[in-house]
Amino acid sequence: MSETGALLTVTDLHRQFGGVHAVNGASFHVPPGRITGLIGPNGAGKSTALNVIAGALKPTAGKISYRDQDITGLPSYKVARRGIIRTFQISSEFAKLTVLENLLVAAPGQRGEALWQAALGKRYWRPQERAMVQRARQLLARFDMSAKEDEYAGNLSGGQKRLLELMRGLMADPALLLLDEPMAGVNPSLARRIERHLLDLSGAGLTMLMIEHELAVVERLCDPVIVMAQGRVISQGTMAEVRADREVLDAYLIG
Amino acid sequence: MSVAWQFYISTVLVYLGVDVIACWGLNLQFGVAGLINFAFIIFQAAGAYTAAVLTLGPAIPAAKGGFQQYVGGAHWPFPLPILAAGVVGGLLALLVGSFGIRRLRSDYEAMVMLVVSLIATSVVTNQVGLVNGPNGLALVPKPLASIVSLSPIGYQWLFVGITAGVCVCVYWLVHIVTSSPLGRTLRAVRDNEHAAAALGKNVTGLRMIAFVLGGVIAGISGAILVEFISAWSPGSWLYPETFVYFTAVIVGGLGNNLGVMVGALLVPVVFLEATRFIPQFGPPGFIDALQWIVVGVLALVFLWFWPRGVIPERRRRFPPAAEGEEAQPLMPAKAGR
Amino acid sequence: MSTLVPAIGFGIVTASILAVAGVGFTLQFGVTNILNLAYGDIMTAAAFVAYLVTSAGLSVWLALAAGAAFGSVFSVLLNRFVYTPFVRRGTRLFGMIIVTIAVSLIIQNSLLAIFGANFFSLQMPRPASVTTAGMVFTTAQLGIIGIAIAAMLAIHLLLRYTKLGKAMRATATDPELARSCGIATDRVIDLAWAISGALCGLAGVILVINVTSFTDTTGAQFLIPIVAVAVLGGIGQPYGAMLAALVIGIASELAAAIFSPEYKDVVAFVILVAVLIARPQGILSEVATGKEVAA
Repeated sequence: MSETGALLTVTDLHRQFGGVHAVNGASFHVPPGRITGLIGPNGAGKSTALNVIAGALKPTAGKISYRDQDITGLPSYKVARRGIIRTFQISSEFAKLTVLENLLVAAPGQRGEALWQAALGKRYWRPQERAMVQRARQLLARFDMSAKEDEYAGNLSGGQKRLLELMRGLMADPALLLLDEPMAGVNPSLARRIERHLLDLSGAGLTMLMIEHELAVVERLCDPVIVMAQGRVISQGTMAEVRADREVLDAYLIG
Repeated sequence: MSVAWQFYISTVLVYLGVDVIACWGLNLQFGVAGLINFAFIIFQAAGAYTAAVLTLGPAIPAAKGGFQQYVGGAHWPFPLPILAAGVVGGLLALLVGSFGIRRLRSDYEAMVMLVVSLIATSVVTNQVGLVNGPNGLALVPKPLASIVSLSPIGYQWLFVGITAGVCVCVYWLVHIVTSSPLGRTLRAVRDNEHAAAALGKNVTGLRMIAFVLGGVIAGISGAILVEFISAWSPGSWLYPETFVYFTAVIVGGLGNNLGVMVGALLVPVVFLEATRFIPQFGPPGFIDALQWIVVGVLALVFLWFWPRGVIPERRRRFPPAAEGEEAQPLMPAKAGR
Repeated sequence: MSTLVPAIGFGIVTASILAVAGVGFTLQFGVTNILNLAYGDIMTAAAFVAYLVTSAGLSVWLALAAGAAFGSVFSVLLNRFVYTPFVRRGTRLFGMIIVTIAVSLIIQNSLLAIFGANFFSLQMPRPASVTTAGMVFTTAQLGIIGIAIAAMLAIHLLLRYTKLGKAMRATATDPELARSCGIATDRVIDLAWAISGALCGLAGVILVINVTSFTDTTGAQFLIPIVAVAVLGGIGQPYGAMLAALVIGIASELAAAIFSPEYKDVVAFVILVAVLIARPQGILSEVATGKEVAA
């Protein structure tokens, strides 16, 4: 089932752990330029599905296609190189690098990352790095984190780490951003700021797929919304449509 | 300064140089890339055996009065055996790295590598035809000795110069790696490999680069050492030697090339050499046992009080923007990605 | 063929020693998650204690008890005053390996400094030989097998039927849960180290009874097979360790008989590496984030 115009299409995805079918025949598509919400009760298979798309897990069956190319089963670094960047539910900062360095690592196409390039010395890769530093600093300013530029990422507060997670994902220049509960464990005012950032990014044309638990947030940010329960997709559409869907109500009551 | 003192100091300097080179290699693997190579010493050993065999020439069979058997052999002039030792160290790292670097919990990985080290010792000791088993190789000709005619003390200082030259080259290598974006990416992989992979980094490939470079450097250190002391046997590379190097790197400062120089000075050189000056007391071997106790205690003390070492890993800062530097556009994503 | 059957006999003896040592090691590992690489050296130290006891003219049974007691006390103190403080300080897994190796070097070299680089033997009455089913055992070896069986039985009863045993099993299965339920208290951990330490000491003494002469490195040389037994049997699973001890004990003696005595240890090495790489029982996670993802 490939939908023309969809950036990402997931077809009949399966992933099991032993006897548990975490993802059990899920199919959905992610349209470009919008924030697509992925919701569902606990155990629905949302995080697993995201992990499979991102290449962190291999599917036991099914197909994932991105811009009409089959990316099923690719390892995570190859998926990332095609422009699909994911953030983690548990902050995964590079603890012994500074905040600025964390962002620099994310920048794609760095000169000086290959051994022969490093051997060519500073004159070869320094200019590009300076430009990347500029870009990173702009990003930091946008998220009000400029003061923390030289701080070790491991010393940040929980909320700051969530912001770093998001900034790092953006620094990687994604075409599709996979967000796994980006506001988990974040205080409400910071969560509202993150929401505004996400809306701005969406307005600028960035495609996102977001797992989120708080339905109020989903309502504000996401269109369309995909509902999963027990490993499969039970509804998709706008929030209003999905809200009215009988199956969804049942799933949330039971799940 | 008396000749005896000169001999002693020049010898210590060569040992220091060898240990510094080895520590730089281990730092690249462990400090920068986070690889737990508890078989480190076998790479130094491989380099030493390679250099020895390529300087000794083909083995003389026992029938003709030869007393050591080994595979291969050539009369390569300096510095070729040292370069070859680096290559062999790198190749061995390629082999060991292909199965040894895995997503195991870190203490399991240490165990796997420790066992690899023990297997290597067992194989070399038992396969006598390989590199002369437990007796090892001896009478390795000294480099340049036949070309240059110097007094013994003059030759010592020449060797110090050679060692210093190799140190400079190795420092260049580790410096360009650690100070470049490659070094930054390796450290990122060390800190969180899953996040690094999610940002497009080929974790396995990057780790291999660090591991192989470390193996090359370890091999070179072994070559210098064997060319200096002219002999090499399994007794020189038992698994506790790896522990000494790890202690040196941890004491000196993990992740900092200057720090591990200090570590190499303090641990293998100062602490182990200092005991030479203590008058012999107790039964034979007593002082040696004390040395090892000191190394063990040192490791514990430093891990407790200064786990980041004497000179810890530097915090990298970037200079503020110069006037007129152009800012790159922030969004949107590049087309065609 | 004629060399194989006696080799199996040797293998059973080796397996007995490995079983006692391996169960102790795996209990320590299961309850505290530390790969205690000083274990072999504690065995050696216990053997020296036994040596001192028998040199004073006392019976070998007393020596066994003394060795076990020493192992027990020393292990509890080691965990209390060295390992736990480092863990509480935030030392990570690899840092702990350095700590245990440092302790191992300190113990080994202290023994070397105190006793010198000689070979020692326990003063024991000369054992008689017994032949059954083509295998030759000395009465000492039969004693070792008996001790091992008794120890395994005692551990089995402990784990199945006592509260402490259940607490230890719970802690080994799910340490976080056990801690939050208040099961994995300091007292349980102390007792776990006391019991596993006793096994360690006991194993050290029966080891040197079997090899007849020992030195400061004897126990350490036995460490890798012990770790192989613990890993093959599954971390923290004593029954697995017992089975693994049989496998590795017999396999290594057969290898020594078929190939050459030098390669006896290589069997354990290879098994350990192979298991750690191929199937370390839940260590190699399939999920990139390092935990099973269920939602």
